Amino acid sequence: MTSTASGDTGVTVPSWELAAREFAAWRAGDPDALDRLVRVLTPVLWHVVRAYGLDRESAEDVVQTTWLALVRNVESVRDPQAVMRWATTTARREAWRMSRAGKREDAAEPETLDTAMPPVDGPDAAVLAADTARMLWQHFAALPERCRRLLRVIAFDDRPDYATLSAELGVPVGSIGPTRGRCLDKLRGRLAADPDWSGRRD
Amino acid sequence: MTDDVTLMRAVHDMWEALDPVPVDLADRVLFTLALEDVEFELMRLQESLAPVGARGPETAATMTFAAESLTVMVTVSDAGPRQRRIDGWIAPGAALRVELRTARGVQETVADADGRFAFAALPTGLMQIMIHPTAGAAVPLHRSVATPPVQL
Repeated sequence: MTSTASGDTGVTVPSWELAAREFAAWRAGDPDALDRLVRVLTPVLWHVVRAYGLDRESAEDVVQTTWLALVRNVESVRDPQAVMRWATTTARREAWRMSRAGKREDAAEPETLDTAMPPVDGPDAAVLAADTARMLWQHFAALPERCRRLLRVIAFDDRPDYATLSAELGVPVGSIGPTRGRCLDKLRGRLAADPDWSGRRD
Repeated sequence: MTDDVTLMRAVHDMWEALDPVPVDLADRVLFTLALEDVEFELMRLQESLAPVGARGPETAATMTFAAESLTVMVTVSDAGPRQRRIDGWIAPGAALRVELRTARGVQETVADADGRFAFAALPTGLMQIMIHPTAGAAVPLHRSVATPPVQL
């Protein structure tokens, strides 16, 4: 899910593993590894934070704050394998706190999203991706808020910390897996009933 | 039927298309992390008024940043080709030491008793303002405060 194809081998490396590698290299004294770590994890943090409905400025604040917290508390990340979870958990806590303090917008309204869409006369691939995204959005938007947030978080952070997620969603830790399954089933059901979705070319 | 992995991949791609990460966000994070001492309070952007109309000599943008004990209003205006000027106003007013960092280096000034300060002839690109605890200033800061990096 959250992954980057490596150029030479074509093998897909999950983000948490890339992050672990760069974090370990940085701690071992390679200053350029911090640059790569920031470039791997910042997009993940952005989408995880925006899942809480924060406006763009507040979301950027949370991302900056999260990186400062990581650099200040670097000793508390004992296992490089855990660095992505450490960062996404810190970011989600702060985003959750701010969203309850009222720094939110209805981030996921199609009207506001339209302005972010690539121009319709763009390259073919971009147009297709935009069409698919728009089509999928029609059905995604109809899901309950809990599903929208959970699926967006998991789409970018495939190893989320279940304890904090469970507190935020108000469901027991053991229910997160089944909740995710039910949310995906709802989305799948809506897509199956949409002839445009099954007929799309991509 | 679409399997879970394919569906999650589609959700991932949808969000990347609909709500892309700001292009320079990673650069701005790295600009902040380049500070040697990271024990400062990061200010929050409270309000941002973008320039009205096309770019021209009258172009100006105003931003307000807030920390626990003070706010700073920053107006950025054009000062020639690829040059900017910054006029700042710290509230409550206090003669605090102000540092401004760009890719070209650090400049320093002290605000007047009303909290006003200015930097002329700045290069375009990222900049960050830090306000430091200053002996004798009307506002006692217990640690430095810094704005998030901003594109000039």
